[in-house]
Formats: sequence, C-alpha cells, structure tokens
Amino acid sequence: MNSFTDAALPATDSTATTKEAPDLDAQLAKFTGTVGNVRVDNAKMSMTGVDVHYGDAQAIHNVDLDLGKNEVMAMIGPSGCGKSTFLRCLNRMNDTIESCKVAGSLTLDGEDIYERNQDVVLLRARVGIVFQKPNPFPKSIYDNVAYGPRIHGLAASKSELDDIVEQSLKRASLWSEVADRLDNPGTGLSGGQQQRLCIARTIAVSPEVILMDEPCSALDPIATAKIEELIDELGKNYTIAIVTHSMQQAARVSDRTAYFHLGRLVEVGVTNDIFTNPTHQLTENYITGRFG
Amino acid sequence: MDNLNLPQHTSHRYNEELEDVRNRVLQMGGLVEQQVTNGLKALLEFDSELGEQVLNADHQINAMEVEIDELCTQVLARRQPAASDLRLVVMVIKTITDLERIGDEAEKLGRVSVSLSSQSRRPAYYAELRHLGEHVKAVLRDTLDAFARMDVDAALRTAKQDGDIDREYDSLSRLLISHMMEDPREVRNILEVSWCARALERIGDHANNICEYVVYLVHGKDIRHTQSRSE
Amino acid sequence: MSETTEIVRASLAKRYARERRFRLLGLASVMASAAFLVLLLGNILTKAWPAFTTTYVKIDVPLTPEVLRLPDAPDSEAIASARYGRAVKQAMRDLFPDVSSRSEKRALYQTVSAQAEFTVKDAVIANPELIGTTHSLWVLADDDLDTYRKSKSLQAVPEEDRRFKDFQVTWLEELSAQNRIKTSFNWVFFERGDSREPELAGIRGALAGSFYTLIVTLALSFPIGVAAAIYLESFAPRNRLTDLIEVNINNLAAVPSIVFGLLGVAVFINFLHLPRSAPLVGGVVLSLMTLPTIIIASRAAIKSVPPSIADAALGLGASRMQAVMHHVLPLAMPGILTGTIIGMAQALGETAPLLMIGMVAFIVDVPTGITDPATVLPVQVYLWSDSPERAFTERTSAAIVVLLVFLILMNAFAVYLRKRFERSW
Repeated sequence: MNSFTDAALPATDSTATTKEAPDLDAQLAKFTGTVGNVRVDNAKMSMTGVDVHYGDAQAIHNVDLDLGKNEVMAMIGPSGCGKSTFLRCLNRMNDTIESCKVAGSLTLDGEDIYERNQDVVLLRARVGIVFQKPNPFPKSIYDNVAYGPRIHGLAASKSELDDIVEQSLKRASLWSEVADRLDNPGTGLSGGQQQRLCIARTIAVSPEVILMDEPCSALDPIATAKIEELIDELGKNYTIAIVTHSMQQAARVSDRTAYFHLGRLVEVGVTNDIFTNPTHQLTENYITGRFG
Repeated sequence: MDNLNLPQHTSHRYNEELEDVRNRVLQMGGLVEQQVTNGLKALLEFDSELGEQVLNADHQINAMEVEIDELCTQVLARRQPAASDLRLVVMVIKTITDLERIGDEAEKLGRVSVSLSSQSRRPAYYAELRHLGEHVKAVLRDTLDAFARMDVDAALRTAKQDGDIDREYDSLSRLLISHMMEDPREVRNILEVSWCARALERIGDHANNICEYVVYLVHGKDIRHTQSRSE
Repeated sequence: MSETTEIVRASLAKRYARERRFRLLGLASVMASAAFLVLLLGNILTKAWPAFTTTYVKIDVPLTPEVLRLPDAPDSEAIASARYGRAVKQAMRDLFPDVSSRSEKRALYQTVSAQAEFTVKDAVIANPELIGTTHSLWVLADDDLDTYRKSKSLQAVPEEDRRFKDFQVTWLEELSAQNRIKTSFNWVFFERGDSREPELAGIRGALAGSFYTLIVTLALSFPIGVAAAIYLESFAPRNRLTDLIEVNINNLAAVPSIVFGLLGVAVFINFLHLPRSAPLVGGVVLSLMTLPTIIIASRAAIKSVPPSIADAALGLGASRMQAVMHHVLPLAMPGILTGTIIGMAQALGETAPLLMIGMVAFIVDVPTGITDPATVLPVQVYLWSDSPERAFTERTSAAIVVLLVFLILMNAFAVYLRKRFERSW
C-alpha cells in the first residue's frame, strides 16, 4: 500500500472534494485496504495493483479489481475519486493524455493490455467505450454506426454492412425510431437517441467489453430509463463497466458495485449488499448521503 | 442513530425526517408500554375503570401506526434511502406493526378486566398472571430501550428471554389445566385467565420480533428464523 | 418598494446613457470606415473607368505592291516582311493631304498607334487577296488622342500645357466628322502584356504572373501548412521544443515581407540558381510568407473541433491518423480554407519580396509557365504608377480594380467553401 499521507488529487472535476480538504487525512485514515471480494471466478478483465499518475499527482492507488464475464459492474464514488480515470485505463483511452502514466497489471482474457506488443486499435475494438456526452459524428445515422465496421473491415459487402447497422441499431433499441431516416444526420436526434446511437456505434464492432462513462448524465429520466433498460439487455451478452454519479442508477443496473474514494477502491460487492448493507464506513456514508 | 456512529446527512431536512420517524416510534413504544402496564394492572387489581381507559386509548396507537407508516412512505418516495437509512425505514415499518399488535393484546387484557367487573365475586387464579406479566413488561421495556439506543447486545439478550417467557407460559398453562381438572366449575373462568396468559405470551413474541429488527438495522443481518428459533 | 429597487432605479438612467454612448461610438466608427472605403473605391473607380474603353480610327490603307514594296507574285515570306508601316503612313497622308511640314507629318503618323501597321499586316496575311486594293480598317488610336477625347478636363487645359496640340484637335474633329472615330471596349488591356505605349499596355501578363505565382504558393503552402498544423495539434508531444516551434511560427507571421524577399534572392537565386523573375521563385517566397498564417489558422480550426469527436473515433478503435483524417480534418476544413484564402489574398497583394527577386522587370510577353519571367498585379500597379504618361494613370487604377475584383472573387470562393463544408455538431 502507498503512504496515505499523500493527499494529491487528480486535477479533474475536484470541486466537490476541495470542500472536504481539511478532513482528507481523517478519511484516508479510515482506509485500510479494499473491503469485499475483488476477484471473481470467470474474470473477463483482471486488474492488479493499478497505479495511475497524472504528472506528479497520483489519481489511482493500487487498485485490484476483476470484471466478470457478462457482468455489469458499476463504479461509484464522489467527483475526483478516480473512477473515470480507472475506467479509461481499461481500453487505454488515457493514452491520449500525455502526462498520464499507468502502472500495474491489467489483463483482458489473460493478456496484458499495456504490453508493448498489445495493439491499441485492436484493444479498443474489443473494449468499446461510451462517453458522458453523446458524441455522434456529424454524419448520417447510418455512417455513424457503419464507421467502426468500415475502419476494421468487418463487412465484406454493402449488404453485410447494412445488416450490421440494422442489428446494432436494433440491439440499441433505436431501430424502430430511425429505420426510415438512416440518412439523416445523427446530430439531429434527441439527446437520448444520440446516446443510444453512440451505444449502437460501439456495439457495431462487436466488442467484448463495453465501458460507459456516465452515459446518462446529460439525459432526462425517460431517456435514462431507456438506456438502463438497454444496459440490462446488453448485460446478457457483454461485460459492462459503468461509471455513474447516480447511486440509484448503479443500484438499478449493476450486478456488482465498486466504490472509489480518493483514488482508492474502498469496497466491492454484490450490488444488493452494497446498497442495503455496505461494510465500509466510507461506502455507507456515501451511499446514505452523509458525505463529510 | 448515535450507536451507528454515523455523521449527519448532507441534507438537514433528511436528517430531521429520519429523526422524526424514530422519535415517533419511541413515542408509540412508550404509549404501548403504558397500555400493557395499565391492562395488566387493571386485570390484577380488578380495576374496571383502568380497563375502560385502556380500551379507549387503543385508537391512539392505531392512529400513530398509520401516521408513522405515512411518514415512512414519504421518506421512501422522496429520499430513496439506502443502506442503514433504508434498513431503518424498513425496520420501523415492521416495528410499528408489532407495536400495534402489542397494543391489541393490551386491549384484550383491558376488555377482560372490564368484563370481570360485571361479575359479582372476585374470580380466582388471576394472581397467577402476575409473575408472567411482570416478566413480559420487563422484556418489553428492555426491547424499547434496545431500540432507543440501537443496542444490539441488549436486543440479543432480550430476545433470548423470549424462551423463558415461553417456558413460563407453558408451565402456567399446565397449572391452569390442573386447576380446571380439580375444579370443573371454574373452567370458564380459568379459560379467561388462559387467554390473558396467551396475550402476554404474544406480547413477548412481538417484543422478540422488534429485538430482531434492531439487530437487522445495526448489522444488516436478518436473524429471524435462525438462531432464535433453534434455541 | 424595497431599498434595492430604489438604488437600482436611480442608476438605471446612467447605465442606459452609457450603453447609448457606446452604441453611438460603435456606429460612428463603422460609418467612418465605410466612408473611407467609399472614398477610396470611388476615387479608384472614377480614375479607372476611362481605361476600360479605347479609341479606334478608321483608315483607308492603300495596299498596292508599290507602297508595300512587294515583288510580283509574292510568296508568304515576302508578304510577312512587307512594309506595312509605309501603307499606314500613306493612308494618313491621304486623309490629310494638306499636312506638309515634317513635324506635323510626324504628329500625323502618331495619331494612330504604332500597333496600326501590325493590324494591317495581320489583315493582309489573313487575306492576301487584299493586295492591290485599298482596304478600310479600324486601327488603334494613339494614347494622346484617346486621353484627350475621354478627358473633359484635359480639353480645358491651355494648348502649351498638353501633349495633344490644337492642330491635332482639328484633325480629330475632322475625323469625327467623317465618322472615322469610334469608342469601344478596351480588349487590348486584357489581352496584352506590358508595353511602353500606354494604349498597348495590358495586364494579361501580370494576371498570368499572379496566377502562376499563386498556384505555386498554394501548392506549397496549403499541404505543408495543414500538415504542420495537424502534426502540431494532434501528434506532437507537448515539450519545450514544440513550444519553441510555436513561438517561432507566431513570430514568423510578423516578419516584414521584404526579409522573405532577401531570403529568396540569397537562397533560391544565388544559391540554387533558379530563374530570376519567375513565378516559381515568387511562389516559393510567398509561400514562406503565407505558411505561418495558414498554420495558425489551421491550428485554431483543428483546436475548435470538439475533442469528443476524436475520442469517439479513437474509442471505436480508429488509429490516431484515422481519427484526424476522417473526423477532425473535415470538421476543421472550413476554418482551414478560410485561413488559407486569407493567406493567399495576402500573397496576391504582396509586392516587396517580389521586387527583391526581380519580378519587377519590364516584361512584354505573357508568361506561359512558372519558369517564364513574369510580373504580378501589385508590381504592375507599382510600375505603371511610376510612368509619366497620363494614360498610365488610368491604367494603374484599372489594374487596382482588377486586383480588387480578383480579391473579392477569392473571398467569395472562401465563403462558398465554408458554406459547403460547414457541418454542425
């Protein structure tokens, strides 16, 4: 374990944590290692001793965690706790940030994804990501979904590509709404539809793991409910890791929940247990709304 | 929630609401305890007036149950409590049901005491209830104490006494049966006494339930139908 | 009414007055710039207007073999080398048989342009059967006659102060009376290169020079500039070296253009021995000057593309290159094109560095390639503005007008491109 006197926080959205700065040390003193079982039997991804630094600031401290096959894992925690950073490590989206250094072992089906000969392009085709803000390309709905299969050469013919697009949109429960206007720009859809389009775009390359970084934070409750329904559905075939600020959402959609605090993984457990009877005091405080 | 050692909620209103629910339950508990005490006293001292009073007070308990139920529903709807808060609300909803039942049992005692006053002579055998009654009263008081302090140890200790009460009830029943066989003319009278003993035993069971809820609230573990029954 | 309301109300009038003053100030500055623009354009347009028309004189050319000094049965070579100048002079003498003094005769011959004998020659070569006849032909008038005809103010000037003397005026009047004078659109101005004779001077050469120079500039600076911008924005690591490069690019944009000219002379002409006065060297020098503008504009355009778009592509497994080429670049294109065209417009108007590399030479021929000696529009303007003949003054203005039209067309093209490529996200 690292020394907990190091109270450095990642520079990202830390407005909520700055207020509690004085009792940071007290909170860290309560942390003595992850509570709960971080390992599962049929792990799709397995992380061990993950440290992430942004320049000199350490954002993630020695995190161990498994993502089970076809499991929905929710990651919750206050702003700046490192959950998004951790999520982005899982398909190396952090590579785009120059100062970001990832250490530790992260494996996908037993292969180290930070290995030098691991191809990032291939990794990201296997581990897709959906972002916080719906970000469809300013192209047609069809082209949005077809982009991934096109660059990876997944479809041999136009009809095959049509098929992939249709299947992906259907799986994202968007087909019925856009079937007759595939040539319209994706940016013309409503926020919820855009996010489902982004999910369809991600599914189109048939990833094995889907990462979702607060996918509903920009959506209204009905759109959110549709996405959650979709996550339920997708959870049968994909391994999903979702970062969310809404504890209710985590409670609703996930099989297991991981609680992050100040870059540490405080507690992991079956979602039912975490939300009725968390073990760690910090988890309890966060879940019941007793922060600080 | 002092015994859970939890800091305050970020939302003060939420804190106050939960505090309010808990206080009302304690208030209801006090009222129920009073009813049981009064009912037993009315029975043992043949005080029909006090019995009347017990009968009249029962609706207050019922009203409080409805009121607390309503509060809990509102908290569930508006705050979506989780973890210990969720357990508290769930536990309160169950506790008030048990408290209400205890109130009903106390009302039974009161009703018997009122019916006794119409009889010309003082019926015998009621003194046999005193010991069981005192024991049940003590258990109920301990239960409410354990609830107020969220004291798991006290709750577990109190729950264990339920077995004693059951044994006491069994021996009282045997005693009453032997009385019936000795004096068949008194069967009707002794049956009344038996019913009262039954009511007291039921109060002990409800108190036991409440103790189990306290354990559930604090530890998050449901101990019902586990060790308490295996003993 | 609360106290706050009172305080706010008391300050309202002051605030609105301040806003009104500010708006008036803004309006005044816009009006002032508009007035200056109108003044400038009005001045140039009125001066340039006469240059777009020119005067023709109809002469009856005696195309007899004696006058042309042609042998009997002439072959094409003989026809090409015949003495057409004599025929033109003969025609002029036939028109005004009274003119006898040598100086007046010379003035008479100069009433038509030196071009006249070539007009006759072209007509005869096109149709050799004209030999032996007297042929009526419209030929270009001399610039002095042309200017005198078009300028009311010049007609009011006393005789000794003008080049076109009174006896010439009487010839003009006589020619007019015989319907031998006509005004028509000045095609010469757009068809010919530079000339010492104002009536023969055209901007075709300068236009072609500008065109070839800009082609070279565009071909060099656009790909290099965009590539540099993409590299700096999307690929380069952030370190001291890239910071240094960035500062230098920004500084380069502010370096006086003449410095680039000196560099051009030193490197391209003296060291690499590229041809002097050629659009090739001019284009290279101008692209050096344009590059910073394009790089800065392109970087700004690339930066304004939301990173979420690139993230989305990367998240799907696109390589960095694919993310940039498929998504970032198309979205940045309107901005890049605008920046490029602003840079090109700057290059189009640039004079100083081209003076240094010899594009200021007097060149009559219209260039046909990037290695031919050439001059460009602004340099042509500079050259003509130096010439003493009055007719060159109006041609200077006309050249400026052509330059402005060129600029407006380029900017219109920029707007069109932006509208075409613009996408919302």
